Amino acid sequence: MAAVTTPTRPRGTSATPDTPGWARWANDHRKWLFAAPAMVFVAGLIIFPLVWTGYLSLTDAEGSVRAESEFVGFQNYVEVLSDTDRFWPAVGRTAAFTVVALLFEVVLGMAVALLLWRPFRGQKWVRVAILMPLVATPVAVGMMWRLIFDPNIGLANQVLGWVGIGPQPWLAGQHSALPTTIFIDIWQWTPMVVLILLAGLTSLSDEPQEAARIDGASTWQRFRHVTLPLLMPTVIVAILLRGIDGLKTFDILYATKGRGGGSFHEVETLNVYAYGLSFDYNEYGISSTVLIIFFLIIIGSMWALTSGRKGAQR
Amino acid sequence: MKASPAYRIFRVVALAVVVIALLAPLLWMIAASFKTNVDIYDADKALVFSPTADNYANVLKQANYVQFIGNSLWVAFASTVLSLILGVPAAYSMSRFNMKKSALVVLMARVIPGVSLLVPWYYVFSNLQMVGGFGVLILSHMFVALPLVVYIMMSYFDSLPVELEEAALVDGLTHIGAFRRITLPLSVPGMATAGILSFIFSWNNFMFALVLSGAETKTLPVAIFDFVGYASIDWGGLMAAATVVTLPIMLIALFVQKYVVSGLTAGATKG
Amino acid sequence: MRRASIIATSLAVVAGMGLSACGGGGDDSSASKTVRVTLANHVWTENIKKALPEFEKQSGLKVEITQLGEDQLSDQYNVKLNAGSSDLDVMMYRPLQEGRLFAKNKYLADLSDEVKSNNAWDFSDFQAGPVEATSYEGKAVGVPIITEQEVLYYRKDLLGKAGLSAPPKTLDELKAAAAKVKAAEPGVAGFVARTGKSPAVTQFSSFLYSFGGDFVDGSGKATVNSEAAKQAYAYYGGLIKDQGPANVSTDMSWPEAMAIFTQGKAAFYTEANSLYKNATDPAKSKVSDKVGFAPFPAGPAGSKPYNIPSWALGINDSSKNQSNAWKFVEWATGKEQTLAQQKSGVPSARTSVWANPEATATYPKDLVEAIAASTKGGVGHDRPLVNKVAQAREIVGQPIVDAIAGKDAAAAADTANAAFQKFLDDEAK
Repeated sequence: MAAVTTPTRPRGTSATPDTPGWARWANDHRKWLFAAPAMVFVAGLIIFPLVWTGYLSLTDAEGSVRAESEFVGFQNYVEVLSDTDRFWPAVGRTAAFTVVALLFEVVLGMAVALLLWRPFRGQKWVRVAILMPLVATPVAVGMMWRLIFDPNIGLANQVLGWVGIGPQPWLAGQHSALPTTIFIDIWQWTPMVVLILLAGLTSLSDEPQEAARIDGASTWQRFRHVTLPLLMPTVIVAILLRGIDGLKTFDILYATKGRGGGSFHEVETLNVYAYGLSFDYNEYGISSTVLIIFFLIIIGSMWALTSGRKGAQR
Repeated sequence: MKASPAYRIFRVVALAVVVIALLAPLLWMIAASFKTNVDIYDADKALVFSPTADNYANVLKQANYVQFIGNSLWVAFASTVLSLILGVPAAYSMSRFNMKKSALVVLMARVIPGVSLLVPWYYVFSNLQMVGGFGVLILSHMFVALPLVVYIMMSYFDSLPVELEEAALVDGLTHIGAFRRITLPLSVPGMATAGILSFIFSWNNFMFALVLSGAETKTLPVAIFDFVGYASIDWGGLMAAATVVTLPIMLIALFVQKYVVSGLTAGATKG
Repeated sequence: MRRASIIATSLAVVAGMGLSACGGGGDDSSASKTVRVTLANHVWTENIKKALPEFEKQSGLKVEITQLGEDQLSDQYNVKLNAGSSDLDVMMYRPLQEGRLFAKNKYLADLSDEVKSNNAWDFSDFQAGPVEATSYEGKAVGVPIITEQEVLYYRKDLLGKAGLSAPPKTLDELKAAAAKVKAAEPGVAGFVARTGKSPAVTQFSSFLYSFGGDFVDGSGKATVNSEAAKQAYAYYGGLIKDQGPANVSTDMSWPEAMAIFTQGKAAFYTEANSLYKNATDPAKSKVSDKVGFAPFPAGPAGSKPYNIPSWALGINDSSKNQSNAWKFVEWATGKEQTLAQQKSGVPSARTSVWANPEATATYPKDLVEAIAASTKGGVGHDRPLVNKVAQAREIVGQPIVDAIAGKDAAAAADTANAAFQKFLDDEAK
């Protein structure tokens, strides 16, 4: 649990009598004096857009947000939730993208973190290499992969050619585009999971490990029954952090497939769909509806995972 | 515990594969940035080619990248500093007073889909006559950086023993005095971590800059698209531009590795 | 209606930003010496940038250029124009893609008076088709700067293999020739063209017209399942499926299709003429010296390629600097600049420039002939003329993709027609 440490003294007693009045006031109200500016800043930038988006989702606004629009109640929600052509497939892709990418990232991340757990020579350099994809600008990374996966001139098919496999369509294929973007996500973000899990592993005490070894547990048994349960809260943090970003993935999809996520909308996730509705179709009412639903989905998944995290700690 | 020789060999091989898989694409990008477009289109010249610096000359001179680098630096720097000024005291208060709900308000900024913010922001700021300059751009990047700063600093303050402040109070300092003279100097490493991280995220930000930057304020991630034309894609220029964008940030990460790692993993291991 | 806008207004007030009114157009009281111009990445833009100092000197104005990719450009317009921003003065836009929507939303200033104000500049010099596309409800809202026609790109060296001495003149000949090349040359496709649902629509349109079809008929009814349209879909899809590259992607826009052609991996390619430099520039193309151009092959209804203005300049209706903005437009679209543009390979909309032999001296000769042929029988649109073009393109583009994938083109056309009719009805409401 978070180290909860509230100062034990009653407020105000620590100020010496010769402190000027304003300083005493500031001292007494420091809690909100410190916290409020940041909160006001964020809330100020969120509340108006959120209210506005919520409002637009109840209108038939299209073309321009300044054009006259009619209040249509929850009609947009009915329309969106019954749209099996674009909306639900986009939900499915968002879920598939996030879950599959997360699964690989956690499993691979765990494997690499375990390899890096015990110190060895050159470990520092491996860590540096791991950091590189993580900090690289996502749009630039998207462009890089677009060239690598180009069906005609890309490195990927070149390498396959060396080992005698025929060219693949990669990003250009109807069924291979989504897996390819998932691959890119895994490439860029597995390192993040590695670092988080490594931090978790390093903070574990050695005693349970030792005890289990003395009891004759095998390496796998020790991992399965000692390390993993102790590491579970960290794993959930990693899932939480990556999960939110995964649901919201945009830069890589935009850079590799452009707007609309390709001819068959093959990489069109909720974020890409909402973006297209706003900026390609100018359907502001529907777009706002999708955004509100999307927002609720994110909050819902976060809530589920946080409860999961609390559960894991008990 | 001593690792068995078999395991050590396995570890070397496995890690070599990991490192190659992670670095090869980036090296390929850098290599491509030194090729002419004809060579890029020629599969036989995948690895062997005669390097040219033309793409970089093109990127830096014709495409005005020197200015965009300056823009990116300024926006990232200003939004980082402002986020620290707002975020560090907030994180302190939220950590010491255990203000979980308030912290959630700030962290909400990480959760909300950016698409829903763009049109309303632009509408508001253009009515306030604030668009076109660096102001809005910096504000929007602060929106990315501030939650990071708060999140990282909260976990840092959580780990800082409160006893030191209490001792200072006994010595007659006010709470604010204790924060300023004792806690702040002790949190320099935390602030460095938060600052570096928010710099990186601001530098990499694409969606906000795409819409809110103008001719004079365009940042690097947006400028990359200058090489995707209506009638041609200049792959060489594109890869050189991508390299120019990513290389500085990779170098930063290289030199201050420790801070970047502790920032990325902040709060992950506490209970 | 009223109620909704009242709520919108009060929302604005709640947020404390009713401070300054949205920029009202036409008021030059605060006219600035700086003209803010937003342009797409295009050869045209590069040329303008080079010539700019001359304009700045003669006009005493400063020009600030923002340059963006096609999609990023329309993203920015959508945000900025939506907010009623006045920080755009001149904008380069796509009349057929965004023009109607922008005009309907009153983003584009009415230029009717300006275009008539200068006889030397001569608005009547512009071709009728492009001018119509940049007009809305009879008013000029833009000035066309770049036109585009669809032509047939082909490999001169492979004609013999196709059993021909001259490029195919009809679509039937094209089909036969493509099949022969594919059979004779392993690794070389007979034909390539755009395959992506949305990008392919414009290049498919010439096939549609040449089979005698169109997207919409005179009474505004969807006609993408007419007999002619079904044949066109089946022909285009079948040609790519049977004579195209092996396991062809159904997501190709021009960069991908062009790459296949310039790598020497296809014999015939139908594409916009504006992209010809990609094929003839030795720095980009392996077959630069072997590329030939021919007019679009004739179908049952003759050769009917599109002839459209792909880009135009407009002025933001909310700009506070409209008269200076017009000075820039007038200069950039004047005879002198247009001639210089055309010399560097940008096809213009000015009749006088096309009549000037100097203007086309740098073009491949066969391309000039192909363009001349296209401007005669050409159709003034290459996509459905609607407000929400992006959606419409996806609807009418679906049968193309289905046909390439080997599905029943006629059935796909029926499905698309129903969806398109519903779309048109929604939009007419």
